[in-house]
Amino acid sequence: MASFIEPIQLKQPLGDDGILFVRNESILDTMVKTPLLVASMIIVAALIPIQSSFSSTRDLDLIIYPDGSTHISTEIDIDPFLTDYELNLFGSTVDNLVVVGDNEFLLDASIMGDSVLIQTFGSSVITIDYDIHDLVSKQGRLWTFSLDSPSNFTLLLPKNSAIVGMINLPINMEIINDQNQLTLSPGKTEIDYLFSSTISNSIPDTNIETNYFPYAIIGVVSLIALIGSVIIIRSKQKNHKLMEPNEISKKNTTLDLETIFKLKSDLREDDKELVKFIFNSGGEALESELRKKFLQPRTTMWRAVKRLEREGVIEIEKKDLQNLVKLRKSMGEEE
Amino acid sequence: MKKLAVFAIIILIFGTVSPSLVNSVYAQNDPSILLPIAVQADKQIVNQLDKVYGDQIPNDIQILYDKGHGAVNQLDQSLPDDVEKAKQDFLLAMNSFMQISRIISQSSEKVVVVTVSDTSNRNLSDELDRLVKYVKSLETISKKYDIDTESDFIKIYDLIQELRKQANDLNEVSAGIKKIKIILDSIKNDIRESALEQRSDSIKRFFDRLLDQVDKQLTKAQDNGADQTQIDKGHELILEIRELLTKNQINDAKVIFVELKALMENIGYSIRIT
Repeated sequence: MASFIEPIQLKQPLGDDGILFVRNESILDTMVKTPLLVASMIIVAALIPIQSSFSSTRDLDLIIYPDGSTHISTEIDIDPFLTDYELNLFGSTVDNLVVVGDNEFLLDASIMGDSVLIQTFGSSVITIDYDIHDLVSKQGRLWTFSLDSPSNFTLLLPKNSAIVGMINLPINMEIINDQNQLTLSPGKTEIDYLFSSTISNSIPDTNIETNYFPYAIIGVVSLIALIGSVIIIRSKQKNHKLMEPNEISKKNTTLDLETIFKLKSDLREDDKELVKFIFNSGGEALESELRKKFLQPRTTMWRAVKRLEREGVIEIEKKDLQNLVKLRKSMGEEE
Repeated sequence: MKKLAVFAIIILIFGTVSPSLVNSVYAQNDPSILLPIAVQADKQIVNQLDKVYGDQIPNDIQILYDKGHGAVNQLDQSLPDDVEKAKQDFLLAMNSFMQISRIISQSSEKVVVVTVSDTSNRNLSDELDRLVKYVKSLETISKKYDIDTESDFIKIYDLIQELRKQANDLNEVSAGIKKIKIILDSIKNDIRESALEQRSDSIKRFFDRLLDQVDKQLTKAQDNGADQTQIDKGHELILEIRELLTKNQINDAKVIFVELKALMENIGYSIRIT
């Protein structure tokens, strides 16, 4: 019985007459259905943020106290359709645990050995704060911090401590109130440090020095802004005489503190302190400056700033990959 | 139309790829921070060696130090051009210094290994600092609820101030901290109760969707021949939870829900909304 299926290798060459011509324009239509491709890309693009948002650590900040106990503050994106979420703690001797869900609601959490079961009931972001006593050990004068972290994290070392050994590369280092703060990558970290009265925190905040590219952009933008403002000023000078005095007074910058607090009487005390600081810094400050001033973890400060933005007290602008927090010139504008 | 589609594809590809590009740039190591860390460690090691050994540094330690110090010098030369070499130099230097500091700490006359997790080794002043942080976070949360905790917090802050004055009396401070924690537990319970009241509507809606799903899963399990007594028990628990929810007894509903969850896991179904 003759076979109907002939292996392709055995096929006779088509020869010049048998060449199959395909029009270039129709390749996309023939081989790939364009609308299908577009739809797939849309689905992929839509899924990427969802995939990365479920059960992933958004922030992890650690503070080591002089006695070796460590405060951990972490913010985690979780599946909002879960009733509870089990989180592995970094040890089993845990104190002062507070778990907060969406809108700062206190969530029920029970510690089981070195993990905690949190009843999330629909929360999509949870913030967990606790003290732990398992991360640092001491031998003689030498203190050793060890952690196997699932994500990038910041580590604030105690005052007067000096690093004398570590097994991995830090991403960044800053000085906050005479304390070294390292940013480290995921994975195993081991840092040896000791206390010494002779330590001078001479490590510069190199984070600001090294990234020249944004400064180049800022330089170019400033130059354009300068040229623009010169043009505007020149054109305004022509119309200056026509301007009424009360029009000029309207251009005055921010409101005074008393007015802000009168308009927003229900502001929290800690938020008022933030507003005062921004006001005293000329009406604007970087979010990182606020964190340094008030010694708050990134997440806490971010929430506070967001709260003030919702209240219409401040506005947030992006400046060199950082958040610039500015007091609004008018409180009633967008309410 | 084709041009539009191709343009859309380009935009989508760029949109998909660009966030990862930004992230990788943002997370890249900044090599210039390595040198000051290594230099500071070097200085500390020199201080330690001077204090412990004076001019008579043991040969093995001297070799390690020379290796570490040499790596610091190399690191200085590698930066800023040869980043990969700089990273290797940094790790070599810090590893050598780590070995030296560990040898020194082990060879001290009185080596005491302290476990920080042991309560007696904690510094009471630090313990109070941590407690203040905890109190402040609960105070912030409590302000969101209609509970009168102001007097409790005033009492707690007064107690902390008193304890700071008695920082040398271990027993007194430990007893004081226990007392404060009892008050804080009671505040936490009040907050939890109030939170439940405020959240009850959203929790009820959440349970409704969840229980509907469990109901469907039980039917499916029944069709698949699961144990009938377990299925009946499951339906009973659902009814019980719904009844408790109508009475606003959310805490009790949660307890029954845990039982229902265990039952569902027993018959091979995990509870989650799909």
